Amino acid sequence: MFIPCVVDSRYNAPPMDMVIADRLAKVFPTPDGEEKRAVHELSFRVGKGQIYGLLGPNGAGKTTTLRMLSGLMAPTSGTASLAGFDVTTQPQDVKRVLGFLTANTGLYQRLSAGELLVYFARLHGMDSDTANARAEQLIAWLGIDDFSHLRCGALSTGQKQRVNIARALVADPPILVMDEPTLGLDVLSNRVILDFIKRERDEGKTIILSTHYLDEAESMCDKIGLLHDGRLVAEGDLDTLRVQTGEQRLSSIFLKTIRADSRRAEVGATGA
Amino acid sequence: MNFPHRIRTIYFKELIDILRDRRTLIAMIVVPIVLYPLLMLGSVQAVSYQHESLEQEVLVIGVAAESHRIMLSQLIRLDAAALAREKARFDPEDDVVRDLPKPLDDAKIQVFDSIDHLQRAIRERQVPVGIVFNGNTLVDSIEQQVNVHVHADYEEPRGTTAGRRVEELLLRTNKRMQDARLNERQLPKSFLEPYTIESVDLSAPSSILGEILPLILILMTITGAIYPAIDLTAGERERGTLESLMACPVPVIDLIVGKFLVVTTVAILGAALNLGSVTATVYFGGFDKVIASTGGQVPIAKMLFILAALIPFAVLMSAIMIAVCSYARTFKEAQNYVTPVILAVLIPGGIAALPATRLEGMMLVMPVGNMVLLAKELLLGAAVGPWEVVMVLLSTSFYAGAAVAVAANIFGRESVVFADAGSLRGTFSRIMMKPSLRPSVSMSLLVTALLFPTWFFVQSAVSPATDESAVGLLYSTAWLMPLLFLVLPLVLLSYFKVDIANTLAMKMPQGWHMAAAVLIGLSAWVPAHEINVVQGSLLGMPPSVAQSAERLAEAIKLIPPSTAWLLLALLPAVCEEILFRGFLLSGLRASNGKWPAILASAAIFGVFHFFVFRFAVTAGLGVILGYLCWQSRSILPAMVAHALHNTLGVLSVIKPEWQRWIGLPNDPDASSQWAHLPLWLILVGSAVMLYGLYLASRPYYGTGVWGTEQGVRLKNPEP
Repeated sequence: MFIPCVVDSRYNAPPMDMVIADRLAKVFPTPDGEEKRAVHELSFRVGKGQIYGLLGPNGAGKTTTLRMLSGLMAPTSGTASLAGFDVTTQPQDVKRVLGFLTANTGLYQRLSAGELLVYFARLHGMDSDTANARAEQLIAWLGIDDFSHLRCGALSTGQKQRVNIARALVADPPILVMDEPTLGLDVLSNRVILDFIKRERDEGKTIILSTHYLDEAESMCDKIGLLHDGRLVAEGDLDTLRVQTGEQRLSSIFLKTIRADSRRAEVGATGA
Repeated sequence: MNFPHRIRTIYFKELIDILRDRRTLIAMIVVPIVLYPLLMLGSVQAVSYQHESLEQEVLVIGVAAESHRIMLSQLIRLDAAALAREKARFDPEDDVVRDLPKPLDDAKIQVFDSIDHLQRAIRERQVPVGIVFNGNTLVDSIEQQVNVHVHADYEEPRGTTAGRRVEELLLRTNKRMQDARLNERQLPKSFLEPYTIESVDLSAPSSILGEILPLILILMTITGAIYPAIDLTAGERERGTLESLMACPVPVIDLIVGKFLVVTTVAILGAALNLGSVTATVYFGGFDKVIASTGGQVPIAKMLFILAALIPFAVLMSAIMIAVCSYARTFKEAQNYVTPVILAVLIPGGIAALPATRLEGMMLVMPVGNMVLLAKELLLGAAVGPWEVVMVLLSTSFYAGAAVAVAANIFGRESVVFADAGSLRGTFSRIMMKPSLRPSVSMSLLVTALLFPTWFFVQSAVSPATDESAVGLLYSTAWLMPLLFLVLPLVLLSYFKVDIANTLAMKMPQGWHMAAAVLIGLSAWVPAHEINVVQGSLLGMPPSVAQSAERLAEAIKLIPPSTAWLLLALLPAVCEEILFRGFLLSGLRASNGKWPAILASAAIFGVFHFFVFRFAVTAGLGVILGYLCWQSRSILPAMVAHALHNTLGVLSVIKPEWQRWIGLPNDPDASSQWAHLPLWLILVGSAVMLYGLYLASRPYYGTGVWGTEQGVRLKNPEP
């Protein structure tokens, strides 16, 4: 039986808020030597056991934000911490407390699902026996048994995404960062994944979820942040947002907020 | 999981991954095992078949007049008769008979109108060979001489064979007539030939192997490295697995080292399979004689030798390929980068494969070229000294290390991991660089790796001929050393926005660390001398070392003492400390612990002095100087100690009396330099030095970023 690492030892003085982003900003260089602002002074907090929905139109800076939170990208300015670890100065610690999953994460085509899970478990520092036990456990949980011996190249999209979830969970991390995890999945696979995310939340995991499916966000998220042009234009639980905008459905809230922000930006531009 | 375990995990996963790929297997196994025998069997058989059939072919000889036809057929008839007589003297079963020349009595003679027609016919390949006599009758008296022109297209195999057969006919005829004339007059053979000339061929038995095989194998090793290098770097990015890999708590350098080891393994496996296939083809195909000009034995021991020489080459190529492919974001992009790199590699390889190139001077440190040369020299049986082998292996591992460091630096860049994270050019542009407190490991390693061959080259370029004085060397070093060791690092540091004061540890040290520096500087020569003496008595001192020391001493005496002190004590103390204890050590200390950083910088410091004989002493001094710098957080103590140590060295040449003042036997004979010091001096010197080290070990009280214990980056300026 898999015995998870002593979780408490991995927290650097466990804070109330598992994820803290403080004036996080990212500037990309463009080929012509210009600068492109992808994320602008973004601040938010996610408490333990919460699902935080990061929503926004394409190009709003969701993916960049999630990558900075995961220690994959260095912020140009500002700070962020996960479980008390700073993403800039302690990226390795951040990666230890984090499960990272995106819709287009690939799998090693020539490894079987089982081998892949054991490999990632070993990369997270488990010894051979623990890694094998953990892989078996995840295979059973996520119903991968039927195809765990097949090479990943031969799996269907839904099967691949299940293996990917198992990979993200391999170290039993307290924080999960999911970038559009249900993109391109059928209803059945979609359900499996959403159920699983809820169950993880109920077990006390902190989850940051970025998605384009607003119904999904409506039913799942405890708190929602609306991103537009790299800035957080609205934030709060669903009720707060309803009160703020006077709309009921999340999709209407979304559209109204984004439109209002675009107008504000135009007025600001002409006003200046 | 600690460092070696992580790398082992990555290594085995990547190895399984790459070996399960059909393309790798085809390139690695099928190509060498099937292609080689086919190619070799095919081409060798074709050549030998053609050769034999030409020998057996009925010869057609063109002549330009009827009279010439008669003369030629007479010659052929006479020759055939003489050959038949010679043959009759031997037992028909004897091997000698088989090797006797064949008569041309079945040759056809074709008559043309004029020499022009004959020549045109030969050019148009209607006849392979033509004969033109300068006369209309055969020679029948001593006074008469007939000039014979043999016309043929000697560039073409048929023409060459036909021309040779006709020439041999004439030579045989000449020989017989000479013998007859000598016999008639009862003269010895020496009458005609006071000297007989014979060429004795001393070329190595397997010359084809020596000259062609290294290049082929190098190409196959490169080919073996390309595919896995692309697959494990750019391929990972393209398939979308890189993101999840980078999200694991594993340092990029571990990933790169693991991948680099897999590429090296595959490249070596590929080279071994290729080599094995060539050997087997030669052995079982019966081509021993074609490949090896004499002996006819397959040099299996030599093959193993080549394989051993290929390993460092495979290491270097894998490192280069990994570095190049790390920069690529897609398979296609990687292939585009790889092609020019292969061409660039083949240039030094090709130069090295030229017959006249020897393993000496600049070639010793030429990347790739030195490996090809080493393999070639070993195969051709040339004597290769240990110093050459050490130099080749050292410089090759230098380049490989630098390439791996560069790969690790590029691989983790976010613009490489994420296609949408801005352009690659953008990340390398200076505007986007963040100021840093010290150079990265890859930067400092790369700069020293490039400086190494440059410095070696500069040193050998300005080093005087054996009969010149070394004064010129001293003066040219005076401006070359500051340029390479001082100006170059400073320019790089300021370009990359690295904090120069912090990198070069420019701050005032504490008093006891300065005292430690003075004590060590004054006493280090004692253990250094003893190490040299012990080493000299154990290993013997190479004459070249003694010679260069002697010539340096002569040169020092020729220049004013103050200049000598400036050039040999102050200048090296400043420049070498800036490079090794400043630039290099601060790069290494960014990601390594105290002792790995000090030892690595000291080893590189030792290697930079080029003489294997002096390595122990210079590297030892490097350890002490590095330790001084680390303990005091300042470069000044190391400079002071270095300058004092060198000052004593200069002083011993300019004022040899000082040795007498402290009670040393002062013998002008150079050999006494290598005698042990008196025991009291050893004891006093070691005691002073140990006390100096004790002082140096006292802790530093102050603030500031130094080793791995604090963040590397400067804080961003608050908006």
